[in-house]
Amino acid sequence: MTAVIRPDLGEKLAGRVVYGTDLEAPGMLWGALVLSPVAAGRIVAVDLAAARARPGVVAISAADVPALVGGAVGDAERPPFPAGPITYPAQPLAAIAAPTLEEARAAARAVRLEIEPAPVVADLESVFPDWPGPDVGASPHVAGHVRARRGDVDRALAGATTVVRETYRTSGIHQVALEPHACLAEVGDGRWHVRSSTQSPFGVREDTASILGLPEASIVVDGAWVGGGFGGKGASLLEPYALLLARAAGRPVRLALSYREEFLLGRSTLPAVIRLETGVSDGRIVARRVRLLLDVGASLPGRDFATGYSIGFLLGPYVTPTFEVEGYAVRTHKSPFGPHRAPFAPQCAFAVESHLDEVARAAGIDPVAFRAAHLWTTGATTPLGQTVGPFGLPAALEAARERARAWRATLPPGHGIGIGVGFWSTGTGAGGEVRLRLSPSELTVEQGEREIGSGSVVVGVAAVAARRTGLPRGRIRVEYRPTSTAPFDSGVFGSRTTAVLGRAVDAAAADLLGELARRLGAPGEATLVEAGGDLAAEAGGARRPVRELLTGPEREEGGLAAAGRHYGPETSIDESVVEAGTFYGYRDYTGAAHVAQVEVDRATGAVRVERYAAFHDVGALVDRASAQAQVEGGIVMGLGTALTEEAIWSDDGRLANPGLLDYRIPTLAEVPPIDVEFLEGFPGGGPFGAKGLGEPPIIPVPATVAAAVRDACGAHLTELPLSPERVARALKLA
Amino acid sequence: MSDRPLALTVNGRPVSAPGVPDSERLLDTLRWRLGLRGTKEGCRTGDCGACTVLVAGRPTLSCLTLAREVEQEAVVTIEGIDADPVGQAVRDAFRDAGALQCGYCTPGFVVALTGLLKEAGSAAPAAALLEDLGGNLCRCTGYAAIARAAELARERLR
Repeated sequence: MTAVIRPDLGEKLAGRVVYGTDLEAPGMLWGALVLSPVAAGRIVAVDLAAARARPGVVAISAADVPALVGGAVGDAERPPFPAGPITYPAQPLAAIAAPTLEEARAAARAVRLEIEPAPVVADLESVFPDWPGPDVGASPHVAGHVRARRGDVDRALAGATTVVRETYRTSGIHQVALEPHACLAEVGDGRWHVRSSTQSPFGVREDTASILGLPEASIVVDGAWVGGGFGGKGASLLEPYALLLARAAGRPVRLALSYREEFLLGRSTLPAVIRLETGVSDGRIVARRVRLLLDVGASLPGRDFATGYSIGFLLGPYVTPTFEVEGYAVRTHKSPFGPHRAPFAPQCAFAVESHLDEVARAAGIDPVAFRAAHLWTTGATTPLGQTVGPFGLPAALEAARERARAWRATLPPGHGIGIGVGFWSTGTGAGGEVRLRLSPSELTVEQGEREIGSGSVVVGVAAVAARRTGLPRGRIRVEYRPTSTAPFDSGVFGSRTTAVLGRAVDAAAADLLGELARRLGAPGEATLVEAGGDLAAEAGGARRPVRELLTGPEREEGGLAAAGRHYGPETSIDESVVEAGTFYGYRDYTGAAHVAQVEVDRATGAVRVERYAAFHDVGALVDRASAQAQVEGGIVMGLGTALTEEAIWSDDGRLANPGLLDYRIPTLAEVPPIDVEFLEGFPGGGPFGAKGLGEPPIIPVPATVAAAVRDACGAHLTELPLSPERVARALKLA
Repeated sequence: MSDRPLALTVNGRPVSAPGVPDSERLLDTLRWRLGLRGTKEGCRTGDCGACTVLVAGRPTLSCLTLAREVEQEAVVTIEGIDADPVGQAVRDAFRDAGALQCGYCTPGFVVALTGLLKEAGSAAPAAALLEDLGGNLCRCTGYAAIARAAELARERLR
């Protein structure tokens, strides 16, 4: 077993860590939201009188907001409560605070809503049953449109020996962080203060300022420990309501979602229809056409990021000389689209990999050899015109292939083995900053993120500081600061935290160690060592206790400080291929190849994953135990996407399975043995050449399981999840 | 509402709380009246296991248990789990195996595994133990490290 060094484990195991749901303040009230009972409609009245008549109750709705924010004007497109029609089910229409949660909920039920229901568009495919026609410009359902093209796809496909055309469908999936969203707000002296278990305190500050129309400097976001994020806690959700309630009540207000509300209101990844058409001649891909309809729910027109970001993944990590990709972000009456660990990439990989299998089979080529022949290698140019940096995916695929070969030697009949690959861009988002402070006895990393569980802050950032300065990790302390005093960082998401904040630590350490060397009268950088219970600096043969190297003011401020920042290089794509919308460049290409062995019950269609292996390009390992934990956790989350997880909406737009009994995530009882291997030697832009690892592990999983299912029983599935019903149906058709 | 104050024994100590409605869940009593917030609130529908505590030594979902139901029984939460050598061993095993990430499910897992090991003994088959832990959900670890921790605890208690 690899040694695990995590300073948060002891506190967490003692039950002493304070998460968002644990927040409490003297005299606080409990909040509750009044949610729309319909997915679409016109508000005639939100009558708070009955709620307000109850003892101790504070109730607010749209009409109260201007006075609460002192006449400030927030973003007109996303007011806290709808100014116009209701656009998604469970949209908040009013908010309540009361002395107890029971009283708050009872008051919420007492709010009289008068709503004229409007026709509901719940299903993506009812909007565009096939593909948008020429009148698409007039459709109110388009939130975004992207299109890029290289070469003449029609001609290339017409000339290809083999052409395969398929449609894939993917389901809506929820993050299912075990801790629901929760925060505690306090307003006073012109300060809007909120503690929240968020993946991005600065992101929440920016969002909240925009929604309420307040200056960012008047808002302080202080993180709490996060009980799982997975993308669902990156933007503000409850904070504006909690702050408005606290302002109205003149007391602290705690607001948390019930788990049912978490499903209803949480921003999850929504269904999609993916059409792929690929032409092959002489064993080579000559062209691909991609058409994507992505349900973005009630996302705002023009603010869709997902479509232009995701669609690049539908070309796969493969050389594709001629292509045309086009996607629409389609508005429906669902809660707005939100990111879910590697947003939409597992779904894209499922479609691309399954499709490639089909294409290879149609062309009479071994599917894995076909992939290997087209995979990007270091220095390759991507379809969108980016140059691939050091890229370990070809080596990972080779390792996966060998593992599959070994497993096949003992494979019982009726079982199957599949291989899948995925790629990802890491170190995304804006940059990040930290401040190091060296006291006589320890090195503190002052920063503004909270640990979400992955270890990217508590382990990753600390490990970089230790390795960079020469100190053991026990001498590094990570300090979590509110936005009012923390250096800026964009958030714990996008497989970026250790990579980007680690580089900021690296930059700060260079300053700090350079300054220490100067004070020792030596060139270059000093290193830090433990000496007599304290710390000492060494450089050029000289060595002195840190205590003696600090000035008087530095000793008073707690030590010698050095700031560091890292804003990654701008990414750009070949804009000449873009015909509509915005496409995004990727950064620090990384990838993984996975192998799964499954058993399929031909009578019921049930799939059991028996063993699993993963081969990951990591650039360089920062902490092996945390890296392995990320991969194991990501794979099992991916097994949920592959096999069981599916949000189901009824025709009236209401979520039919907002609970853990009907929305099934993997349990301990169904998890296979997982073998994880890392490939180093393909360095990325993170510290010591590290690449991000939070998201890549989930990406290849549905593709890998689908390939194994096909190998086991011949069923070629084109819809996620691979539920028993779908597998059994496919077996009947096969 | 019963006029009688609620009387519980939590982590070996008798505690009393006035004005507790008969309908109050043990989870809420522990967290908000007694300040024992190590017991986590997840789904409140008995599906996630985050709120597991020991009642008379048995793993029990405190979200589906009324506080008044357990007045005669010993309640043990994560805050008191290390008073028991088995609880201590389970906690150490979770730490040594790195069997947690965000940690939100962890108190439930530690308490549940402690109860299961006390009931079945360390000689119980590992597979049965893991199956019994299937009622506790974790979204971070993929359970691999939790299974290693369970095995480690079993070995150390043997």
